[in-house]
Amino acid sequence: MECVVQGIIETQHVEALEVLLQGLSGVPKERVRVHELCLKSGPSLVIQGSSPSEVRLLCDLAQSTPSWTIRHVGGSMRGAGAEQISVLVRAIVESKASNNVLRYFYGIGYKLDHELLKIGFAFRFHRGAQITVTVTSVNKLPKLHATEEAVPITPAIQLVEITAPAAADNYNDVVSAVTAFCEYLAPLLHLSKPGNSTGIVPTAGTAAASLMSSGGGKTL
Amino acid sequence: MPPVKWLMHWHPNPGATLNSQILAEASGCAESLGGSKDGRWKTSIIFYRAMARDGASAGAGGAPPQQPPDVPRELLGVALHERPGLYFSILRSHRLVLQADAAFPQVMEKLQSYKARVTLNFEGFQYQLGDFCLRIGKCVPNNSETLRGIMMEVEYYPLSSIEKSRAVMEDFFDIWQETLAKKSLPGHFIHVESNFSEYGLSDHYSFQHTAVQYATCLQQLMAAVTVRG
Repeated sequence: MECVVQGIIETQHVEALEVLLQGLSGVPKERVRVHELCLKSGPSLVIQGSSPSEVRLLCDLAQSTPSWTIRHVGGSMRGAGAEQISVLVRAIVESKASNNVLRYFYGIGYKLDHELLKIGFAFRFHRGAQITVTVTSVNKLPKLHATEEAVPITPAIQLVEITAPAAADNYNDVVSAVTAFCEYLAPLLHLSKPGNSTGIVPTAGTAAASLMSSGGGKTL
Repeated sequence: MPPVKWLMHWHPNPGATLNSQILAEASGCAESLGGSKDGRWKTSIIFYRAMARDGASAGAGGAPPQQPPDVPRELLGVALHERPGLYFSILRSHRLVLQADAAFPQVMEKLQSYKARVTLNFEGFQYQLGDFCLRIGKCVPNNSETLRGIMMEVEYYPLSSIEKSRAVMEDFFDIWQETLAKKSLPGHFIHVESNFSEYGLSDHYSFQHTAVQYATCLQQLMAAVTVRG
């Protein structure tokens, strides 16, 4: 399981966000360059419920040797309790894989639905829970697998995602930790469940200017 | 890099059956050669069957397919005793061996495109014999004691090159066969020859090589069962 919230921020304020995250986390940022391939089962396979099954293959291009991860995003928690919390709790299964994983899934009848390149940075730290904040520009590839020719889908806007692993017996604590952390970022961006976009923060510019002038680390 | 390993399986003489006596005699041979028993081992192979539309899977049988088959009817999962954190999946039709981690079966369960049907366990005792490690075991379906095969692993610690180790492995195999022949058992061990280069594997031995050997061993075991009826 994982807890996740997302938000968007104008590209011009990303540097200020980085300063804020650096101050809050106390860890060095990590480079993010991930080629994400979304595959769906082809017509030859019969899946229960009749919708094709989806799987994502993530190729980490930030390291000297690319590494692959298989990621399945499952259903999210539902019900009155889920409605009341501002963080999405969903099932996740991930596995590392060798670099022939794309050929493997093509071989068992999966087809490429779309692919993206996410470029940016991440901070991983512990603050009540193991939290990862990822800030990326989402890019489309004009030709198949042409990561060197990627272009931003929204050049002026970047995606911010906060995730934290959770289990059935601790997700409430993880939700609380993520919610609390989101408060620190409120001057710069709104974070909400994926799919419930709340847009940019109108006063983010002021907050960003304050962060950049103070050199970060000060409370807004 | 793991050391080189050969897999061998028991090939019964025509008309002969498998029984645990063969297993006991083979274990006795390992000890007579100076092997010291060193614990148990278990490797599992899981058969996955495609949830395919009629006629869409290769080898579906029955009436001719309406369209060319484009998904393999089955794939194999391999969980090796020496690396419980890893999981291998083999597409024999594509000569492809995927290395993943132990969460991979959960991914397949969520995807529901291929479902695990049968698990076969290869299990037994292992023996340290100088630079060699012998693992002698039975092949049984999960939760059953029905003997489906007898096989062994021979691992040679000093070398990881398949070619460089060939001579010493052949010599060991000859000694093993001679020792076992004195027991006058109704059959003999056969070395599982796998075409590693077809799977894109190099001369340097790896866990993927072992996974491929198990897939080949299984194929030969199943063929032997079919021949015996």
